[in-house]
Amino acid sequence: MAVRAQFENSNEVGVFSRLTNSYAIVAVGGSENFYSVFESELQDIIPICHATIAGTRIVGRLTVGNKNGLLVPTTTTDQELQHLRNTLPDSVKIQRIEERLSALGNVICCNDHVAIVHPDLERETEEIIADVLGVEVFRQTVADNVLTGSYMALSNQGGIVHPKTSVRDQDELSSLLQVPLVAGSVNRGSAVVGAGMVVNDWLAITGLDTTATELSVVESVFRLGEMAPGGQGAGVNKESIVESFY
Amino acid sequence: MGDTARIEELLKRPLYVYDLPQELLATLSAKTANQPVTEQNPEDDSKDPEVAAQESAIATSTQCSLCKVSYRNVQEQRSHVRSDHHRYNLKSQLRGTAPLDEVQFAKAVGDLDESISGSETSESEEEDAETTLTALLKKQAKLSETKEEGDTAVKGTPKNPLFWFSSSSLPSNKSLGVYRAIFSNAEQDEPGHLVDTIRKKQLAPVNARTNNAQAQQKPTATGPHIFMCMIGGGHFAAILVSLAPEIHRKQGGVEERQARVIAHKTFHRYTTRRKQGGSQSASDASRGAAHSAGSSLRRYNEAALEKDIRELLADWRQMIDTSELLFIRATGKTNRRILFDKYEGQVLKQNDPRVRGFPFNTRRATQSELMRCFKELTRVKVSEVDEAALAAAAAKQKEKEEPKPSTPRPQPQKPKVSKEEEAAQLHTTQIQALIRRSKVPALMSYFSNNSIPSSFTFQPTDSPQNFRCPTPLHLAASLNAPAIVTALLTRANADPTATNNEGRSPFELAGDRPTRDAFRVARHELGESKWDWASAKVPSAVSKADADTRAERERKAAEEEETNRRKADLGRLKKEDAEREAQMAATKPGRTLGAVEKTAAEKRDEETRGMTPEMRMRLERERRARAAEERFRRMQGS
Repeated sequence: MAVRAQFENSNEVGVFSRLTNSYAIVAVGGSENFYSVFESELQDIIPICHATIAGTRIVGRLTVGNKNGLLVPTTTTDQELQHLRNTLPDSVKIQRIEERLSALGNVICCNDHVAIVHPDLERETEEIIADVLGVEVFRQTVADNVLTGSYMALSNQGGIVHPKTSVRDQDELSSLLQVPLVAGSVNRGSAVVGAGMVVNDWLAITGLDTTATELSVVESVFRLGEMAPGGQGAGVNKESIVESFY
Repeated sequence: MGDTARIEELLKRPLYVYDLPQELLATLSAKTANQPVTEQNPEDDSKDPEVAAQESAIATSTQCSLCKVSYRNVQEQRSHVRSDHHRYNLKSQLRGTAPLDEVQFAKAVGDLDESISGSETSESEEEDAETTLTALLKKQAKLSETKEEGDTAVKGTPKNPLFWFSSSSLPSNKSLGVYRAIFSNAEQDEPGHLVDTIRKKQLAPVNARTNNAQAQQKPTATGPHIFMCMIGGGHFAAILVSLAPEIHRKQGGVEERQARVIAHKTFHRYTTRRKQGGSQSASDASRGAAHSAGSSLRRYNEAALEKDIRELLADWRQMIDTSELLFIRATGKTNRRILFDKYEGQVLKQNDPRVRGFPFNTRRATQSELMRCFKELTRVKVSEVDEAALAAAAAKQKEKEEPKPSTPRPQPQKPKVSKEEEAAQLHTTQIQALIRRSKVPALMSYFSNNSIPSSFTFQPTDSPQNFRCPTPLHLAASLNAPAIVTALLTRANADPTATNNEGRSPFELAGDRPTRDAFRVARHELGESKWDWASAKVPSAVSKADADTRAERERKAAEEEETNRRKADLGRLKKEDAEREAQMAATKPGRTLGAVEKTAAEKRDEETRGMTPEMRMRLERERRARAAEERFRRMQGS
């Protein structure tokens, strides 16, 4: 399922939220409209945490996480860290890391198995990423751009990269990550796909400006329609679902 | 083609130089040209079950376009992406420099090795790798700065650390690499017989002894073996390895070949200075002996390490003497001294032809590192290149080698100065100096001594100072030097009609009357017929006497005027003094300021300006107290 949303007139939903398979973090804003979009899609499925990081609302750019863990920058206050610990499931490891490149969401892009990180990240950070998030870490660039987290949106099903990524680079990255990739945009042509949307294995939330074409690309590469009724995977899974009922 | 398939199968396993399969050995041939070969990373063990299930949608381009290498599977690609080589290329790409291929990178790291291993204080191997990379990047940054200037210098083709072989039973794009260092010096000199040499080197594998007690016997020289040792940062590791592989039978009858270690030993002593780095002896040598507890500990440990190592080498003397090759890594003066310095019962000699270094990057001296080095040295490298890339590389090379049409650089040549011109320039400076200082006799003798013609012009003619005054007469006239002008005209026979570049004669440059008179007197003395005085713009002639009398008259007139002026001035001053006296007498002594009288309140304001309120209050109080006292006094007095 892919939906459009807006955070206080901004389309960059990836800046103000972080979505994973086991939790979601939403920035504390003036209005609850943005939060209610998350709530309507995710309520009773995964916990949604209202939070700030270092007193700012750009939680999506400062943090990085997957179903196994969450990394926050060194500027995070103790109270914020405690709040996150209280809200998120116990299985999620939360760690504060000392890294010069403190906008972790911009420099790290990960799903539950692999992470593509900025080439200048410290080696200690790389190890922490591998340990806390339980991923294989690769230092790579996306379309010759070091900000992998900004220019790439990744889930376990697929990924979208910067629209100017060459086909060869896409192939290499796709082979490295073992997920299908497409080059695409969100929010009516915005190249910062990582900051323009959030995605997990069954839900994608993009900016309100996203065109229908962009949204259909998102749905197909992240396979969001398949599990829904009428999707490609519907027929395959119906039997197993029915089986599990009895 | 079943044979080829079988050999392909063989290549999947690591190949040992001293025990190559027969099929491969028979078809081996050396590669002649320095062909560019990219080497594959043979070490990949991690099997990820998760990625085994590949999906059709996932691209299978297991190559790295940045480093220009391709891999058989994802595991290899992933291990490449994590390697220093890839990270280095990534960073150099971001910096805008060209990425290195694997051989170039290995060479760059090898060059760096000597400087890195000197300060081996890092705690873990990962850190070690990190420092290697950062050091390389730093060095590269420095190099690229200097490179930009002299990039055109043609480098000699570097000695490749690997000899490359091809086999007819292998696809043409596959080649096998063997380290140069494992051949003796004589063998290296005959590249034509390399294949024969390799064939000669083959050894039959030995069955492992099952009896443990027997295996633990004293090391003895059985068959060919090599000695390897590393020393650095207080770590020492040495190993004697037999070249004949040993076959171990594992459960289920699987044969496994292993290197047979005849003897090994490692030492570690605390010798490097924590945090500062470097050895204690180096620090002592450069800075004088320190007297701290730590320094004496390290000094003791250095001596102890040296003793331990030398004892060990003496123990192994027989084995070392019979070993085929000696691989030694000892960087730094101290480390080399321990091994190669002259001492009684010396075992290793610096000039031994068997001694060689490791042709690749090595880490801290440990036994496992030595084993890794042994494997690396004796393993045959398999490389794969696609023909298109080869052809492209060759074309590029050719293009580079083609001699560029050498165009002679137009050198900014200094105009050749002839002898005469040089002499003229010298005269110019001398004459100009004499004229400026008004040295008439010296100038005249200079003219006569150097027989300078009357038509002499200053050199070089294009310099700005000679533009206006090209002749001595011009210069003298413009400097207002009548004596020089007279001398030049009457005695040096200078031409008054010569014009400068502005078309002016010397007379026109004269700035005062005496100089102009000098010209007129000269006209009188030389006579009308000597020069064309009209074209020299010199006015009518005056005799010397006339000029003198006129000058005298003028002088007198000027003097008279001066005395008149003085007289008038004195009178004026006297009058002014008298006036002032009168004024002083008229006004009373006292206030003379022209300012408006200030009221008492204004004065008080002025006094208290800039004071703090407290100070102002205190002042006010004092003033009132004084006023009160005054009042009392007056009352008592009255």
